[in-house]
Amino acid sequence: MTTLTADHIYATGLRNQWHPVVPSRFVAPGAMRKVTVLGEEWLLFRRSDSTLSMLADRCPHRGAPLSLGKHLGDRVSCWYHGLEIETDGTVSSVPGLPGCNLEGKKLVRSLPVREVGGAVLAYFGDEEHPEPAPLTLPEPLTDPGTDSFLCYAEWNGPWRYAVENLLDPMHGAFLHHESHTMFDGDTTAKFRIRETGRGYFFEKTDQRGVNFDWVELCRTGVDWVDLSIPYPPSAGPGGPFGIVGMVCPVDENRTGVFFWRYRKVEGWQRDSWRFLYRTLIEKRHWEVLEQDRVMLEAMPADADQRENLYQHDLGVVRLRRMYRAEAEAQGAAQVPAQAPAPRH
Amino acid sequence: MTTDWPYLDVHQSRTHEPTPYEYRLASALEEVFTHEGHELADVVRGLNARQVHSPDGAPWTEQSFRDEINRLGA
Ligand code: FES
Ligand SMILES: [Fe+2]
Repeated sequence: MTTLTADHIYATGLRNQWHPVVPSRFVAPGAMRKVTVLGEEWLLFRRSDSTLSMLADRCPHRGAPLSLGKHLGDRVSCWYHGLEIETDGTVSSVPGLPGCNLEGKKLVRSLPVREVGGAVLAYFGDEEHPEPAPLTLPEPLTDPGTDSFLCYAEWNGPWRYAVENLLDPMHGAFLHHESHTMFDGDTTAKFRIRETGRGYFFEKTDQRGVNFDWVELCRTGVDWVDLSIPYPPSAGPGGPFGIVGMVCPVDENRTGVFFWRYRKVEGWQRDSWRFLYRTLIEKRHWEVLEQDRVMLEAMPADADQRENLYQHDLGVVRLRRMYRAEAEAQGAAQVPAQAPAPRH
Repeated sequence: MTTDWPYLDVHQSRTHEPTPYEYRLASALEEVFTHEGHELADVVRGLNARQVHSPDGAPWTEQSFRDEINRLGA
């Protein structure tokens, strides 16, 4: 494995934690799919019984992508010389040379995976941390009284911009002013940071329940945000809708965003929301999300190098410090111990 | 399933393009929620007043609305 620098980690995503990868429906039973995550190539492989595994997309023989190979039901065979790889990364057969000593060896990296609310999550440990970090799932996705829809989209831009956007509630009153949910509320505000055991709130001190007024960053093995946005009366009973947001660092310049729109509703109220969501509301939500995409994709590459920040940006500043410090720590841990100078 | 980057799909929750009846019912529901209220009784009254009925043409009852919205929104 190549040594990871702090800059590379900051650019491509933190290690030793879980990240969302793609929606579960992207890999049907009996199918496989190539994905890029944290700047690396992977293969998602689903057996016909729906068991999912995630393998490095690299044949241990000569490095051909396994994603070009064949799905053999419970293993994949490399197209180049036919090596067969089990879902845990073990070489089960070298057809060209039976009995070859590669057989039975676990030579392909495989990642722990879990499926949550219709998305694949995987744990990306470095060499020192192969065991998956404990994962606590967002309550809105596990609470039986809360119903949700996942919206997934792919944006051209660094993963950090997508998270920063979420830690910046004030953009709602401007960027999304012409929207069905965020037209209201004051365009001036004071914010504060409130630490929690799992992250922090960034919230307005003087307005709640009117626009996008607060956000909680949660680090529970996977990084996610929770926020809430009021619905107009047309959306029916159940109060505001919430968003659980996660971000997949694809590579330095590409990001997968996961937004679960959720609402505390049950019975006919739940059914009404789901019906309206599918028929009319999903499209309006999409238009709001497109405003974010257009803005973030248009941000210059040096956007975060030449800024003049003010009080509303404290949530972003806090986020960057945290991520930068963690990238530095992870990068430092990667530096191999200095080898003694060669003697001649 | 496409693997082209970027994946940008407006509709990810639908199983089918809504029928004209579903579109009509949805906009009537929004109107009723806006002008009549959020109780089940408001909904039934509001839809019936607007003559937006289920496909069999019968006026809504609380039970028939529950059943139909469950079929549509489950
Ligand atoms: S490179 Fe895969 S079998 Fe040779
Ligand atoms: Fe936004």
